[in-house]
Amino acid sequence: MDLFLQQLSNGMVIGSTYAVVAVGFALAFTVLRVIQFAHPDVFMIGMFSGMMAAGFVPGGGLAVALIGGAVGSTAIGAVIERTVVAPLRGRDVLTTLIATLGVSVILQNGMAAVVGPDPIPYPRLLPSRFYEIGPLVLTLRQMFCLGLCAVLLALASFYVRGTHIGRATRAIAERPDVAAAFGVNVGQVCRITFWLASTMAGLAAVAVGTLYGSASAFVGLLYGLKAFVCMLVAGNRYFEAVIVVAFALGILEALVTGYVSSSLRDAVAFFVLIGVLYLRPDGLFGSYAT
Amino acid sequence: MMPNLAFFEPIVIFTLLNVAMTVGLYVTALSGQLSMATAAIAGVGGYASGILTVKFGVPFVPAVAAGAFFGGLLGCILALLTLKMRDFILKLTTLAAGEALSVLAFNWDYIGGANSFTGLAPHTGLVTCVIVAAISLYVAWRFDGSRLGYGARAVRDDPLAAASMGVSVAQVRVVTFALGSAIIGMAGAVQAHYLLVVTPSQLGFFVSLNYIIFLLFGGLQTLAGPVLGAVVLTALPEALRFANEYRLIVYGLIIVAVMLWRTDGLLGRTPLGVARRIFGVTFGSAHTSQSILRAEDVLPSSTSAMKETATTKSL
Repeated sequence: MDLFLQQLSNGMVIGSTYAVVAVGFALAFTVLRVIQFAHPDVFMIGMFSGMMAAGFVPGGGLAVALIGGAVGSTAIGAVIERTVVAPLRGRDVLTTLIATLGVSVILQNGMAAVVGPDPIPYPRLLPSRFYEIGPLVLTLRQMFCLGLCAVLLALASFYVRGTHIGRATRAIAERPDVAAAFGVNVGQVCRITFWLASTMAGLAAVAVGTLYGSASAFVGLLYGLKAFVCMLVAGNRYFEAVIVVAFALGILEALVTGYVSSSLRDAVAFFVLIGVLYLRPDGLFGSYAT
Repeated sequence: MMPNLAFFEPIVIFTLLNVAMTVGLYVTALSGQLSMATAAIAGVGGYASGILTVKFGVPFVPAVAAGAFFGGLLGCILALLTLKMRDFILKLTTLAAGEALSVLAFNWDYIGGANSFTGLAPHTGLVTCVIVAAISLYVAWRFDGSRLGYGARAVRDDPLAAASMGVSVAQVRVVTFALGSAIIGMAGAVQAHYLLVVTPSQLGFFVSLNYIIFLLFGGLQTLAGPVLGAVVLTALPEALRFANEYRLIVYGLIIVAVMLWRTDGLLGRTPLGVARRIFGVTFGSAHTSQSILRAEDVLPSSTSAMKETATTKSL
């Protein structure tokens, strides 16, 4: 039982990081009909820019790293939006997929040319401290990561449900043409949504870097595929469904690691995807017609 | 002076194999099912033929045929699995299937597991690869102009309209997926006997992605598209070797540039208008150019305008 609870909480932490990346993916896909394949690499850029910011300002610590991560990822996200995504809006999904994939190749290999292809140690922005909560043992870094991701996801949910631009986002997701006819500035809403998704990824990236203590130019690969699976399994009708699925996937992976085998961990996501899409082609919670 | 052939041979072999695989993907994609499991299908072909030659002593040619068979079988299964799914979801399901197979191969000790499947004999040479590329091109070319090929295009463009015209959507999808996958499985089997090792990571999505990039870069409307894409993009990283660590960045830049400025790939539906104007030829399937009525055939003004430019050029 203790093992179960421990794996459950570990899974929650992993799931929260999947959720932040997947939500960024889902925002870009539902609003812009673009598979932003470079989104995990925006996440990676945030990780490194946070690290550099923390290096430039001695004693600045976590706050400076978070600001640096957010600034770096938002900047790179804005550049991608301006140069690749906006000109291709309305084209076939596959065209944008390949184009952003090209961006992803550029970002990964560009960063590998700067920092080298191997993982490098991430600065210790938080002390390594353990907390025992009942039968559970959680590190301070895990708690920070989970907390930050939870706050980001809550803010994202508030943005989509509660703000004016967020409601426009949902209108565009359903019918871009009708939304435009009702006076929504589609281009602007898409841009802002894209920027916000990038900012979120950058903030979460600093927390993930701190959690694992290492950063790699190719960290995006794994996150990209997992986030992709979450988005598809959830379908795009309910924004929050992506979060639920991401947490469920994280927990499922942790349980498979704990009880079955750690080498099967990465296969779980894909078996779930095939199973769910075979039974419900529109995702668990349904999708808008595309 | 002759350049050193031994240096170019691997590049030529990989180019030919990539042409065969991309042509297989082209056949699959013709009915609108752009498979994202190319590498997994090729890997199944490689594993199947490798197990037959190494563990059962089967000769090379029947083993390659078996590789093609198992590739086609997997294609058949994938097509049946995704029959109900919408276009975009379908592509991503094939992606997941490929990844799942990769992990399965990783955990299955009989076929080597994480240590890869080794012990294959080197059967593949330049000639084998030329034959494989020729077979795949011939099959794809015949398919391209066949009744089934047109049916596949109709299903891709509008399944509902195709069905109402009496085309069996399910049949077309399964047959095209199986045929394309058989070509890929054959190429995979031959590749395995050149590399002499089959590793689980070869089955992954990021290998499959290469073939999709080849196809979309060249253009998926004509048979010449995948051939051009595979040749250019296999040779390009080799040609960029002087730039070593920046070559992948340049590779990425070229992909983005093509997608931005030639969205349909280098060869669109009317392949390279410039080349046609200069040489007066159309690349790709001869059947297509005969059967599709071009604007010049209908509009006399444009024909005469073309003739005019031709005469001014000759003057």
